[in-house]
Amino acid sequence: MDDLPVRYAGVEDSANRVPVSIVWEITLACDLACSHCGSRAGRRRRDELSTAEALDLIAQMAELGTRDVGLIGGEAYLRKDWLEIVAAVRAAGMECGLQSGGRNLTEERLAKAAAAGLQGVGISIDGLREVHDEVRGVPGSYELALAALRNTSLHGMVATVNTQINTRSMPQLRELMDIVIDAGATNWQLAITVAMGNAADNPDLLLQPWHMLELMPLLADLSLEARERGLFIQPANNIGYYGPYESTIRNVIQDEIHWHGCNAGDTIFGIEADGTIKSCPGLPRVYAGGNVRDKSLREIWETAEPLAMTRRRTVDDLWGYCHGCYYAEVCMAGCTWTAHALFGRPGNNPMCHYRALEMDKAGLRERLVKVKNAAGLPFDHGEFEIVVEPVPGASAERVRDRILVNG
Amino acid sequence: MAERGRVAGRLRLCRGCRQFVGWESPECRFCGGDLDSLEAEHEARRQAMLDAEAALRAVVEASS
Repeated sequence: MDDLPVRYAGVEDSANRVPVSIVWEITLACDLACSHCGSRAGRRRRDELSTAEALDLIAQMAELGTRDVGLIGGEAYLRKDWLEIVAAVRAAGMECGLQSGGRNLTEERLAKAAAAGLQGVGISIDGLREVHDEVRGVPGSYELALAALRNTSLHGMVATVNTQINTRSMPQLRELMDIVIDAGATNWQLAITVAMGNAADNPDLLLQPWHMLELMPLLADLSLEARERGLFIQPANNIGYYGPYESTIRNVIQDEIHWHGCNAGDTIFGIEADGTIKSCPGLPRVYAGGNVRDKSLREIWETAEPLAMTRRRTVDDLWGYCHGCYYAEVCMAGCTWTAHALFGRPGNNPMCHYRALEMDKAGLRERLVKVKNAAGLPFDHGEFEIVVEPVPGASAERVRDRILVNG
Repeated sequence: MAERGRVAGRLRLCRGCRQFVGWESPECRFCGGDLDSLEAEHEARRQAMLDAEAALRAVVEASS
């Protein structure tokens, strides 16, 4: 395991609950207008942490054993003291990366960031030019993102790409991979768009469960080709689960690695710009364990019950298909964020390859139907129902029942 | 002392169909293969590849 990046958690980290990797929204200010943005970023929060509070928080992270800090926003670089934060993270002995849309991540900014100690930059590219610009809400943002990606490498930092997989970007992934490689990226993180925030208002953008039947073989194929070409494809925690491509897609350095359940609050956590600590950066505030303005980070990490959800979860907490699934005990219903955004509670996740395969064997598929709109707040969500229906064109013998699973 | 975290159970990769199955399973629930036999065959193939790679390296180094 010595060859793995420090942000990867080992068994000892899980057992000892070391918060190996932290994702820190240092501001909600943003210069893009993405139609899938879970936090509905744009304006900064009224009560974002001061520089002194941020620097104190960094010392507390290091004291807890954190090894990797990922800065996000909004756009992290829109915070005036962001380079001071980068330098402090590095001075405390932790690795530091930035996730960015790249619109105003100029070469000058990147040069200063490299000088401050920033080690890696992940640029969001959500499709080819037309799709990216439309989804990101700013014409020209595609070219600016690519320029930021190229300049990242020129300044000696690790250049990576993040891509949201949705109905617009999925057909373009193969072509996009060529562009990602040509631009010098070494790592491509792919995540399925989650029905949170702005994405909840754009349900046509969201994949349906049956799309897993097409997506997983595609990702397996791309993963194998990418490795040959020097690019490492990294699936986010909401991509899976099991089925014949699990090993190929999730392979890091050995092919026995498999999904083993959500690790939110066990080896990772998220921080909102006002100091709210959440078990996962994407989750809404019902998963918040407290605020560092009220309690120490250690006290929140060690005692806050909302951060204990994954280690408390048992198969009895699962529902719907996931409750009776062959993989239930290990999988624990996949990504908490994905399930919560769809149904307002975790424990049942239809965005699953194994599940889609089993449904398909019976001539069935699941369709998500939005039945309640989101309120329009950061990290909010609507509500969806699962309709089980015959696969179009499936023979009548294959189809058992038409069931409303969560009606 | 902080509460211990969750350590998930392990699954075993079937070398026949590349699906994951329960660690204690003697055979694959998907393809019916004998997991121990398939693993032994896989390990033999892997070792043969490593041996071939080492032999090739030796030839290259000897000729350079």
